[in-house]
Amino acid sequence: MGLRRSPTARDDAPPQDTEIQRTRKQRNVFSYVALLPAALLVLGLMVLPIGSTIWHSFTNWDGVSSTFIGFRNFELIFHNPIISQVLVNSLIFLISVPLILVASLVTAVLVYEKVLGWRVFRFLFFIPMVLSPVIVGVLFSTFFLPGGAVDQILRVFGLGNFSWLGNPWSARFVVILALVWASFGFGMVVILSAMSTVDTALYDAAAIDGASWWRRLRSITIPMISGSLQFLSVINVIYTFTSLFAFVFVITAGGPGFSTTTVDYYTYITTFENGQFGYGAALALLLFLIVLTLTIAQVKLFPNREVQQGS
Amino acid sequence: MSSRVSRGLVFAALCLIGISTVYPLLFMALNSMRTTQAFELNPFGLPSHLGLGSYRALFNTIPFLQSILHSLIVVVPAVLLATFASSLAAFVFTKVPIKLGNVFFWTMLMIMFMPGIVVLLPLYVEVARTGFANNFAPAILIYTAINIPYGTYLLRSNFRAIPNSVVEAARVDGASWLKVYYRVILPIGKPGIITVGILTFLNIWNDLFISLVLLHAPNTEMVTPTLAQLSGKYTSNIPVLMAGLLLGAVPTLILYFVTARVFIRGMLSGAVR
Repeated sequence: MGLRRSPTARDDAPPQDTEIQRTRKQRNVFSYVALLPAALLVLGLMVLPIGSTIWHSFTNWDGVSSTFIGFRNFELIFHNPIISQVLVNSLIFLISVPLILVASLVTAVLVYEKVLGWRVFRFLFFIPMVLSPVIVGVLFSTFFLPGGAVDQILRVFGLGNFSWLGNPWSARFVVILALVWASFGFGMVVILSAMSTVDTALYDAAAIDGASWWRRLRSITIPMISGSLQFLSVINVIYTFTSLFAFVFVITAGGPGFSTTTVDYYTYITTFENGQFGYGAALALLLFLIVLTLTIAQVKLFPNREVQQGS
Repeated sequence: MSSRVSRGLVFAALCLIGISTVYPLLFMALNSMRTTQAFELNPFGLPSHLGLGSYRALFNTIPFLQSILHSLIVVVPAVLLATFASSLAAFVFTKVPIKLGNVFFWTMLMIMFMPGIVVLLPLYVEVARTGFANNFAPAILIYTAINIPYGTYLLRSNFRAIPNSVVEAARVDGASWLKVYYRVILPIGKPGIITVGILTFLNIWNDLFISLVLLHAPNTEMVTPTLAQLSGKYTSNIPVLMAGLLLGAVPTLILYFVTARVFIRGMLSGAVR
């Protein structure tokens, strides 16, 4: 603020200096008081716990007492065959990410055509987004129950009585389907909001040049919204690793066997059902490191102005 | 002519996707009003006879309405607190430049990507150790804290769109920073703040993990974990399960239907990233 005044003004007006000092002090007092609620809650209930988890991942914590055991928990994790199965599961669930991106893009492009009733459709496509993963998960598992909706459709074609949730691959398919259905609305919003910033003159010019609809999508829309597509990809990869808990809990409970168990679900079982808190802390940290690595990798792989500016 | 055909095709495709988003709601509503036998005979078509028997069965077997009440007890204060704290923080980050502002903001951004379990694990132990297990107060505070980073992040990009000249003009007129916050930022940023409030509501209401861990006693259980456990108990009685799911979804659906105009506009204005 002081920089903006000319040097002469400083010499003539000493009273302003104290005035400026006073406003600066006011500003500082206000900003620290205003930050206090957020700072207290975030430091006390997030930063401190994170520190505690890091510390306890090197102990044999059972929730009451803990002794330092070095990297023992991590050794156990790497020798646990279930962990590799669980990590493979999470990699398989990553199939949902391109599916969500395609579903979101298709829906957004269709809505953007602004045909009759497009506002109503946009309103309807938001609905899955406001439903809990628990509700979506229970609905999908109901559809795929033996004798459920899907079975009855298949029976018309002479198929049916297939145990969808009893086989590893079909169980994973049901989880992925529920996830894609629950997530495309959010993707559509992000893409629509990016598309609304594209200059329509570009489309007009392309139309005059006789560019086909597909050509316009490929050469104008997708490049112009690439930042949003990258954002969605990063968010959904993180979500696949950290937030499938509710879907898995209600659709498959991790089964059959461990074929749909995700890292977060396995951590929940070891920690809260078996009481191995130190081991759970190590698992939780491992999960964080995976997410961090994948996020950095995606940002590096697709260098993009928008993300680097942190907009 | 061909443009007419293609617009027809677009409309048809939109209808298909639209059916996929509405059908599950209808499925819940219609089947909650059938009997189990009627469901098994015909789970798709329109029911021949509607009844509220499943709702009665739901209320008689588990304390379902109480679980909705528990959710409200936790969600309402947490949403108000989180939105208030985030809007103040976002205001400071965008309009009141201070030294530590950026450090604090980037700390929050890092935390945003932290899996919930990293935070929840020690909190659960601490809450249990201090005798606050199955108590609403720590759950409210933890939900508030966990929703502050994202809320602040969203409101920060939202408030950046408010011209600095508006804030400066108010300052020149002698308004205090507090006054700038509630006379300038709150009114102009209202759509964004409402959107963040709704998102926070949905986040907490729909969450399973934290509520399952912190509030697991019957006299504190929130609605989402109740539904999750109902699904295990009632897989054979789909109508009762559907009645529960629908009632659990009704508050979020009402919130969405009532605020759709502001919410959709807020989301489309880039408020989600």
